[in-house]
Parts: sequence; structure tokens; C-alpha cells
Amino acid sequence: MIFNSEISGEQQHTTSPVVTGGSVIALVYNGGVIVGTDTLCSYGSMAAFKNVKKIAQISKNTIYASSGEFSDFQQVVKELAKIDRSALQYDDGVHPSPKDYGNFLARLSYKKRCKINPLYLQNVIAGFHNGERYLSLVDIYGTYLESNFITTGFASYFCKAIISNYWNENCTLDQAKQVIRECFKVLFCRDCRAHDVIQLAYVDAQGAHIEEPERVETKWDFNGFKSRANEKLHTQ
Amino acid sequence: MLKHLYDTDCVTWSPQGKLFQVEYAMEAVKQGSICLGLKSSENVVLCSLKRQPSELAGYQEKQFKIDDHMAIAIAGLTADARVLCKYMRTECLEYKYTYESHHPVGRLVFKVAEKSQHKTQSGAKRPYGVGLLVAGIDPNGVHLFETCPSGNYYEYKCQAIGSRSQAARTYFESWFHLFEKSTLEQLVLHGLSAIKKAIMEDEELNEKNVEVGILGKNLKFTHLNAQELKDYIAKLEGFNPNSQIQQE
Repeated sequence: MIFNSEISGEQQHTTSPVVTGGSVIALVYNGGVIVGTDTLCSYGSMAAFKNVKKIAQISKNTIYASSGEFSDFQQVVKELAKIDRSALQYDDGVHPSPKDYGNFLARLSYKKRCKINPLYLQNVIAGFHNGERYLSLVDIYGTYLESNFITTGFASYFCKAIISNYWNENCTLDQAKQVIRECFKVLFCRDCRAHDVIQLAYVDAQGAHIEEPERVETKWDFNGFKSRANEKLHTQ
Repeated sequence: MLKHLYDTDCVTWSPQGKLFQVEYAMEAVKQGSICLGLKSSENVVLCSLKRQPSELAGYQEKQFKIDDHMAIAIAGLTADARVLCKYMRTECLEYKYTYESHHPVGRLVFKVAEKSQHKTQSGAKRPYGVGLLVAGIDPNGVHLFETCPSGNYYEYKCQAIGSRSQAARTYFESWFHLFEKSTLEQLVLHGLSAIKKAIMEDEELNEKNVEVGILGKNLKFTHLNAQELKDYIAKLEGFNPNSQIQQE
């Protein structure tokens, strides 16, 4: 009997992630949809890759980001790019809308979940099509949800209050950006696997715009840190 | 059509560069009863003449709904048409399941054409003996396509295929410049007028032997029922396309 699965050719199922990306926050604003991620890929608790671009442009008016296993993110980007490319083969001017991508990813995720070999991701697809804003979440099980705002990972716990207080679906782009920056500031403070360099990307009537990474403002020069008045040295 | 040399199978060319088996298959389409389609900027209408094999029999349906946004009218071997109809319906369902939106029309016609072409390049197969008029609406607009056994497909503003279809095409040539701006009712009346040109002298149009299907940007594919057909056929008497020109 051969127990080594490499020799026996048994199919392996990935049910725990190795290199992971952090929270994704996405909001709808008056002219489109904006998505923010940080630029960190963690190797367990190690901040291994600190300069990773985690927002992909899938088509002219669709962007995609996800949290979870980063190799699965890369694979999904390939799968979605295949669809857009096959549209070129038909050469009939019909391109998938953002909703088509969202649904395709939901079907793909569900199929893999049913084989207990999931894409270990919380996926966010954002787009702007025919004057309408589109934002959806596809989770690891293949659940498909359209919404005006999406948070994945720890952002779902820490950031919903901030979004609720400072954002509405008709705010301006700058207001939405500020809300996302504030959310990542809080995440950097409280989520162990978060990073202070973030990347924003938005889709509007002109198409997708992915911005360069930026560092979130953080403040460390508190007097309490310098004087360390709260920390008692235990000497015995 | 007379018999030719070089016509035994699809994998033999004639010296004139023809594939006779494919040409013969297109004859089968010409033998089918007439069906026609015409489109405006908002709607597509399919009209067909149904044949009754005998007085005891019912009339053979010629139009099939593929999806809410697409339908076909057939001329030729009905059994072959059923195969293509099933294929198109399956493709639409799969597309809807995966993408939650309607299958682009041109793309499905392309798939059918590919399937048809495949049958023209094999020693062991025969071409499909049916021509389809595919009416559909997608984000690219309103479409009417014709497919044929050779695997070619064409997009049309209006087209008629089947027996005595030339008469209907002649009607179209005179009036098709009006179709773009026609209302749905005018389109149906044009379609029925064209069919009327193609029927035999001793035949007459009635709600039993005519089939009309309509499709619009906000209108899912529907067949006109017997009463609606009767009303339209009654309106045919007073229908004068010239009056449509005066309106514009």
C-alpha cells in the first residue's frame, strides 16, 4: 500500500491557506465604486511580502480584489482574464459586464466548494456598467451578495461602525477615500495581520483607475509611549 | 436539381469548387414552407406558414422559443431543427447559469454555424438539412440572423427562407426602408403581407396556418394567439404601406 500521496497520485484538497492577504473594503460612491486593500501578504504571522498589489483590473470597467490565500487570488485573476480574452475570439463587440464576472466567480467557487477543495478567498468584484454601479461579494462557499459596501476579514468587525457613521452611498470620491483610509488606520492598530501601506482603486464611467500604494497616517509619538507611565517594571 | 458527379459525400470537391452534398442540403431548406423575419429598432417579428401533412393532422409548428430574448423559425427537416433547437436552449441555460445574463445572440448563432460547418467536413456525417432564422435582442441591439447547412450565417434587416420565399423577399425589397421606424403592429402587418405574396392562389391565410412570433426590447418572445392572428389578418385588407410613408 502506498501512503505517500505524491506517489499514489491522490488528489489533495486545500483547506488551509498559506500566504494570505488581509481585509478588503469596498464602497459605492456617487460616481462609481471604490475598493481598498493593504499591500501585505502574510506567511502565517510573518509579514513576508510587504509590497503586493492586490487589486486586479479584469476588464475595462471591472476590478477584482480578495482576501485569503494569495495564490488562489492569482488563479482567479487568470480565470477571469480568460473570459475577457475569449470575447476577443468571437470578435462580436460583446464584453462581459461586471455582474457576469461576479456570477461566474460565484459558480466557480460553489463548484470547488462542493468538491471540498475551495478557493480560499473572500472575493470582491467592483464595476461600473451602463451607468450603474456594481459591487458584490463572493465568499469561500460560493455565496453571492450584491451590496453598497463590502468588508472582508477583520474589517467586518472593526470598520462597519466607521462606515456606518461617515459614509453614505451618494458621497463623493474623496469622502469615500477618507473613510477607507480611516478604516485601514484602525485595522493597522488592531489587526495583527494588517499593514499601514494601502492601495485604492476606483471604477467610474471612464473606466478603472488603480492608484499607487500610499501610507496610512499613523501617530506614534504619544507621551504615554515615551514616558511609559502605564508600564510598571516588576523587580523582585 | 439534377444529379451530379462528385456528389457522393462531403469530402469530395467538384471541379467547379462545389460541395454538392452541402448544396443538396440547402435544397432541403428551399423545400420547407416559408418563414420570414423582419426587425425594427425595437422589435423583431417572425412569421411562418405552417404545413398540414393531411387533413387529419395538425399543423407543423415552425417557431421555437430559445430563451426569453431569442427565438428561431425553421425551414427544412424538422427533426434536424429540433437538434439545433435543443442545442441552442442548452447553451442559453448554461450561459444564464454561469453569468446570470442572456446569451449574446450573435455568439450563439456563431456556435450553431460552427456546429453546422463541422458536419460539412467529415466523411461519415451529413449536413443539417435545416435553415434557421434567429431573432434575438441583446445589449448590442436587435438582431435577425439566418443560418444555413453550409455553416455560413448572415445578419439581416429582413429575410425570407423556404418555399416561394423569393416573392416575400421582393416585397421586402420594396418596403424594408420603412421597417426601422415601424411600430410592432406595422411590422406584423408587413410580415403577413409578405407571406401573403408567397402563398398559392387557392390557399388563404388564416389563424390556423400562419404563425407569428414577436420579440421586443421589453417584450419577451411570445406567439400571437388565434384571436390576435384573426384580428391582424382582418387588418391586412386595409393595410397600405404607402400610408406609412406619408406619416413620416
